[in-house]
Amino acid sequence: MYKALLCWRYLRTRFLAFVCIVSVMLGVATLVVVNSVMAGFSTKLKDRFHGLMSDVIVESPSYNGFAMDSDQMMAKIRNSPANEHIAAMTPTIEVFGMIIYEVGANREQITIPVHIVGTDAQGRADIGGFGEYLRQPARSKNPSFDLTPTAMKRWEAFNPRVPILLPPLPLPGQAPDITPPPVEPLKPIGAIPGYGITHYRLTDPVTKITKDVEVLPEGTIFKIVTVGAGKEQIEPVSSNFAVADTIRTEMTEYDARYVYVPLEYLQRLRAMGNRVTHIQLKLKDYSKAALVTAELRKIFPDDYAYQINTWEEKQNSLLAAVEVERGLLNLLLFMIVGVAGFCILAIFSMIVREKTRDIGILKSLGASNRGVMQIFLCYGFLLGLIGSGLGTALGLLITYNINPIEHFLFKMTGVGFDRGVYYFDAIPTKVELMTVFLVNLGAIAIAVAFSVWPALRAAWMRPVQALRYE
Amino acid sequence: MLVASNLVKSYKRNAHVVKVLQGVDLDIQEGEFLSIVGASGSGKSTLLHLLGTLDRPDAGTVSLDRKRIDTLGARERDRLRNSTFGFIFQFYHLLPELTALGNVMMPAMVGHSMFNWWGSRQEARKRATEMLERVGLGHRLNHKPRELSGGEMQRTAIARALVSKPRILFADEPTGNLDAESGEEIVKLLRGMNREQDVTILMVTHNLELVRHSDRVVRMAGGKLEMGFKFAGSGSKLVEKLELAGST
Repeated sequence: MYKALLCWRYLRTRFLAFVCIVSVMLGVATLVVVNSVMAGFSTKLKDRFHGLMSDVIVESPSYNGFAMDSDQMMAKIRNSPANEHIAAMTPTIEVFGMIIYEVGANREQITIPVHIVGTDAQGRADIGGFGEYLRQPARSKNPSFDLTPTAMKRWEAFNPRVPILLPPLPLPGQAPDITPPPVEPLKPIGAIPGYGITHYRLTDPVTKITKDVEVLPEGTIFKIVTVGAGKEQIEPVSSNFAVADTIRTEMTEYDARYVYVPLEYLQRLRAMGNRVTHIQLKLKDYSKAALVTAELRKIFPDDYAYQINTWEEKQNSLLAAVEVERGLLNLLLFMIVGVAGFCILAIFSMIVREKTRDIGILKSLGASNRGVMQIFLCYGFLLGLIGSGLGTALGLLITYNINPIEHFLFKMTGVGFDRGVYYFDAIPTKVELMTVFLVNLGAIAIAVAFSVWPALRAAWMRPVQALRYE
Repeated sequence: MLVASNLVKSYKRNAHVVKVLQGVDLDIQEGEFLSIVGASGSGKSTLLHLLGTLDRPDAGTVSLDRKRIDTLGARERDRLRNSTFGFIFQFYHLLPELTALGNVMMPAMVGHSMFNWWGSRQEARKRATEMLERVGLGHRLNHKPRELSGGEMQRTAIARALVSKPRILFADEPTGNLDAESGEEIVKLLRGMNREQDVTILMVTHNLELVRHSDRVVRMAGGKLEMGFKFAGSGSKLVEKLELAGST
């Protein structure tokens, strides 16, 4: 009983104990904040990747696409046991190319390398991670490549020309179709480029205020150049598109590189017939992903021509990098708590010295070595517990108010979260209870571990030596 | 009752070995009030520490009721110090964070585990309060040591030493830090306790004025007991001079 009493009294009356608590508190608060922000970033990244990439992807390595009609492929999938786990499925074409547009009075041509995605807007939206990122609210609910009336007017002002389309590439065993494609009535082909393509970022050299300038407003015509499908030789193909909308995923890399265009038009432009390069699958329950990929591999056994992966497998290296970064940061920050641990060691050694006579008195009253040791271990535990409790509270307070704090710091110092890098409007945070619990556990363990040596010194002190201590 | 036989103890100070006790024999009778006098450094406090199991002798034996206690394990020694022995020191050695009552309750707290403490708490508090009232500090129960005078602190220490009804009380220079009047009061209090509670007292002092309250006084010099005197009652009349066994 005396152990708990003395431990509590020492805690209440020692200023040095307060110093220990503050050092543990700061370490824990930092860890909680950093972990919450890292988890926020990581979750947001994962969400975005996942949103852009559907649960399971069947992919062709060839720019010609699969050597099979896409409807036939999807029918095969629907007839397989994997179908019961599939919530939605859509074919897409993903191919590299570039977009060219003109700006300014001199009609200066700007060329940007891009990743062209041919997709059915509604089908892609059913997979998820498409509709919600479109900038026009009406389109988010009902995704399409159609131009709005305002966009139509701007498009008409450009006086567009009719594109010349090549005959489609025959499937294996089929004779080439030599009839030229019908001449289409003049109508715009809508496309949805990323926000980083339609805008560029400008920082005012005087005010340092950054703003996004729109260079491709809706209805603007731009040209996409890519390669046509064909086994013998690669032919460049190009066509004009009109900006129907802009997609903003808040992922710089994607927003600056991705252009979504209608699937059927891209198939015709690239002369692919009804072939595609990707089949995107959304599952009812992502935990069944391994089962679905296994089933799909059974129906498409050629693992080179049909590359079947989950989105996590496709983004493995990037997700792993985020985890490694987080691990490293944790290691470094735990060193801060380690420093707090040494602070506890130093302060405890001082307290043991200061309390030497008390130790002698307790031993003369019959206290055991173990009892004396427990006083100081309990002391360390309490310091760790209170320090980490306060640190968690402080950390959560900072985490939940990180954006106002960042705004304030940015105003004061001019240094802050660079929205140019992330395109996030706010710093994302996610408090993971398990991480907070582990941080607390670690801090308490360090506090107790660093009080072991002073506690042992106190316990081993001979009573006479302690009583005579001046 | 408590017998020391041929006790030898030396300390290392830097490279020098200081021989503090060089073969001390002492027999303390049940209920006796024994004073040990001697100059500073004569080894009287060391003898008291060895008898009270606060330290271990290099050679020789300490026995209580004919059982050796100097070779006991740590747990038994802790138990002896908690219930059979009581200690008071020159500098009172009270725990500064606790009140007078808290200090006096401390031996009971040390002697009980966390679980059985709750059952005996009220009884311990009652005994500690009674003990403080007996040493005249009934009005100072909730005062911290820094709020007490030297005499009051020593009374608190006496109450703490006697609260667990020990058989032997070791008093190491209990008046060394007090003025003559307070010192006299403290020794009188000890004498009273010796008679009322039948507690055996071993007091180390260098104040020759105060030894007249004891039953017997022995003198130490150079790490050995030199001679002893026996007093009749608490008077100052010297009745007998004893040659101590082993003294030269």
